[in-house]
Amino acid sequence: MRFPFLELPGERQALLRPVVPVQIEDLEEAPLLCLLDSGATANRLSAELAELAGVSLDSPLAVDELAVAGLRTTGRCVRVDLTVASHRFDAPVWFCDPWPFGFGLLGQEGFFRSFRVTFSAAHDWVECSPERSAAPGRDPRRS
Amino acid sequence: MTLDRGAVERGLDGVLPEPVREHYVIVGGRRFPPKQVVSLLTGLDRADFTTHQARRVLKRLGFVAARKQRRTVGTPPAGGPALPHGGRQAAALAPYVGRWVALGEPDEVLVAANTAREVVAWLARHEQRASGIFRVPSSAAEAEGLAPR
Repeated sequence: MRFPFLELPGERQALLRPVVPVQIEDLEEAPLLCLLDSGATANRLSAELAELAGVSLDSPLAVDELAVAGLRTTGRCVRVDLTVASHRFDAPVWFCDPWPFGFGLLGQEGFFRSFRVTFSAAHDWVECSPERSAAPGRDPRRS
Repeated sequence: MTLDRGAVERGLDGVLPEPVREHYVIVGGRRFPPKQVVSLLTGLDRADFTTHQARRVLKRLGFVAARKQRRTVGTPPAGGPALPHGGRQAAALAPYVGRWVALGEPDEVLVAANTAREVVAWLARHEQRASGIFRVPSSAAEAEGLAPR
């Protein structure tokens, strides 16, 4: 499925970002726009979204203190169902509080492992198609 | 009862607009269904007046009233920047920097609020489905992929 880059208001000109809508669990009416970040090791979203999607962070697989954009944040890793491009899959997600970004971030473990992604910066779109045989995920505590 | 422009603006401060089906008025840079505005400010039941009557009242107070237009897809303005939506999406998002928004069409903001919770609650209450929700970055840094390394 192809997604046009998102146009954001910028100081001099619009900023373009490769984002895709991600449904968290069964929160169908409000998919979260997430930035494709191939340099990120894991999926990271605002903890606020976990509560809205009914995802409990009480018994996380792992907890970590992270430095994000100069801000200390606490990430709790849980496995959740995500849906991208009509493909529902189980993925580890680090829900972080506080979270300084406007988007969630989709990283290698939990997204790029499950999708084949083509960027066309020349034409301002990104295409995602599910991998037919995704390799088993790694231990989320290492992501 | 007397309505004036200031009273309308004050009365809608902090109020989330309901979905716009066809007609709307612009108050404080946001689009409201005319009947929502008049009903809220007067306490009148919406069945007691028409959209056109509400529009007329609000236009007399100096508010812009308009009708939602079907857009022509894929025709960016001549000479405009080569952007996926011809710059219309960035323009639609510009008033909402720093706020959570729900997009309908690419250049249609269904609702804007201070928290994701308010946006999701609004969507549920009005049985609307967004194409995506996010917080419009207030700086380039907030729009970067600065994931923890």
